[in-house]
Amino acid sequence: MIDLAQLGAAVERGDRDSARSLTQAAIDAGQAPQEILDAMVGAMGVVGRRFQAHEVFVPEMLIAARAMKESIALLEPLLVQAGIRPVARAIIGTVEGDLHDIGKNLVAMMWRSANIEVIDLGANVSPQRFLDAARQHEPHLVGLSALLTTTMPAIRRTVETLRQAGVAAPRIVIGGAPVTLQYAREIGADGYAPDAASAVDLARQLLGLQGSPS
Amino acid sequence: MNGRERVLALLDGQPIDHLPLMPITMMFAADTAGVPYGRYALDHRVLADAQCRTAAQYDFDYVSCISDPAREAADCGAKVVWFDDQPPALDEVDALLADKSRLRRLARPDPQAGGRMTDRVQAAALLRERAGAERLVEGWIEGPCAQGADLRGINTLMLDFYDDPGFVHELFAWVIDMELRFARAQIEAGADLIGIGDAAASLVGPHLYDAFVLPYEKRLVDGVHEMGARVRLHICGNTRPLLTSMGTLGADIVDLDYPAPLDEARQAMGPRQVLLGNIDPVRVLRDGTPESVTAAIAACHAAAGDRYIVGAGCEVPRGTPPENVQALTRYAQSTRF
Ligand code: B12
Repeated sequence: MIDLAQLGAAVERGDRDSARSLTQAAIDAGQAPQEILDAMVGAMGVVGRRFQAHEVFVPEMLIAARAMKESIALLEPLLVQAGIRPVARAIIGTVEGDLHDIGKNLVAMMWRSANIEVIDLGANVSPQRFLDAARQHEPHLVGLSALLTTTMPAIRRTVETLRQAGVAAPRIVIGGAPVTLQYAREIGADGYAPDAASAVDLARQLLGLQGSPS
Repeated sequence: MNGRERVLALLDGQPIDHLPLMPITMMFAADTAGVPYGRYALDHRVLADAQCRTAAQYDFDYVSCISDPAREAADCGAKVVWFDDQPPALDEVDALLADKSRLRRLARPDPQAGGRMTDRVQAAALLRERAGAERLVEGWIEGPCAQGADLRGINTLMLDFYDDPGFVHELFAWVIDMELRFARAQIEAGADLIGIGDAAASLVGPHLYDAFVLPYEKRLVDGVHEMGARVRLHICGNTRPLLTSMGTLGADIVDLDYPAPLDEARQAMGPRQVLLGNIDPVRVLRDGTPESVTAAIAACHAAAGDRYIVGAGCEVPRGTPPENVQALTRYAQSTRF
């Protein structure tokens, strides 16, 4: 048996080699895929909180998420076999005219690490592309990111486009440095989160999912 | 006292009549002059004209060459995305140094070779000519982290800190060599002061900042000082965890963006450091009223003390009401020494 706390610690440190080998060892020892997954989900939750508290920063978030992603790849076949499926599906992107993607990437990673399937549309995504993706993937959740005051109106346009087309009523959440809760209310979005860790709490709350196992 | 004298006197610890006023304007300046931002970034004559008009209208103590961080990268051969009425940006998907082995073969652009860097050098010359001795002329270069990110791709650079520290050092050393040549050309053209923009530095924590970024920023600051010009350090974003280190650089002016409290900066950097900032550009300056702007800037001044320059945390956003910028002018001019 592998001490899954060690796996969690490896993910927290962003130590991809240890995380992968511990995951493989746990798989080989026949440990339950759900438990292995939970250990990593918990670890990313910890990293998200530390980021929120300014104890770790963008590079540390990125290497932790990478360690988890690579370990999950090893676990994937077993998760499928055990019928463990993502708890929800989301699409996310940075809105039209805006090329900033770091914050959006962090939110995507944290959602993934909370076992939400995420389809990342990238940056500079037009309302039409959001709509097409929403029709194709039928997400429960749509995330819109904007970092520029000049591209905030593109959030509004995207929300309107999605609402008017009446796509299967996904929850739309928005974020990015200049965005506020007040703005979210004003344009009829369902929620706003100031950082990636809160974006997970927000998704769970809006989708009625239970909290993190940690 | 004219604007140039006022700023230089403050920096030299000489008496001043009132606080200097140096808010960063780019899109706001282009809008003030009624020109699309794409042209402002492309043509130094448009930029210089808009800067002079804006400075005259609001009685700023300086004019600046700042426009966008893509000038050096463009001359290095990076792919730049242009917009009609927005600053140009770099396309990270096609980052110039996506393959890091290219760094060894990459030629440093000559700031006088007729590219986008030359356009800025010409802006410095034209601003000197137009501003005369009345206003301070600010040149602009990018810091190691920002420029390294522009060449390598910012998401990739963030991983490089852990995956290949040697490469990051090599990259940053390469970058500052280029930036110092760029600074020299602008100073020779007439810039009194060089702004160093290192926006991406606020994405890393104090450990990486001290190990990778600070040493190269220090070489930039020292290099510009050796050329006889002053230095303004501008790192936008949340620099709160970096304040103590930033205070060791010896920059003549340290800008603070709104998430970094001025009283903490004063504490961390000591009584001599000239600080600039830091009202929230969007929530206070753009969305506030002259009254709320005045109250906010007075609070900044109180927190920073008198070795202080009036300005916002970052660029004055497009769409800021003129009367809110006038409130800054009025505040600066109402202070008496
Ligand atoms: C990196 C950067 C760039 C890079 C972007 C590279 C990339 N691939 O992302 C480059 C160089 C390309 C760039 C270009 C420009 N930039 Co820029 N950039 C920055 C910088 C330094 C960091 C932004 C960042 O990544 N922050 C870190 C992340 C983690 O924070 P975040 O994005 O806020 O995300 C968090 C939350 O907001 C939230 N969140 C984010 N998205 C979402 C989405 C959802 C659904 C939810 C729930 C939550 C959420 O969670 C995230 C994680 O906790 C900031 C300044 C700074 N230091 O803050 C300027 C800044 C954002 N840029 C700015 C500007 C003006 C520009 C340019 C217009 C011109 C310029 N100065 O170069 C161009 C525009 C290009 C374009 N059309 O998009 C301004 C914006 C001013 C404004 N308010 O309008 C800033 C603030 C700097 C400044 N004052 O000049 N930039």
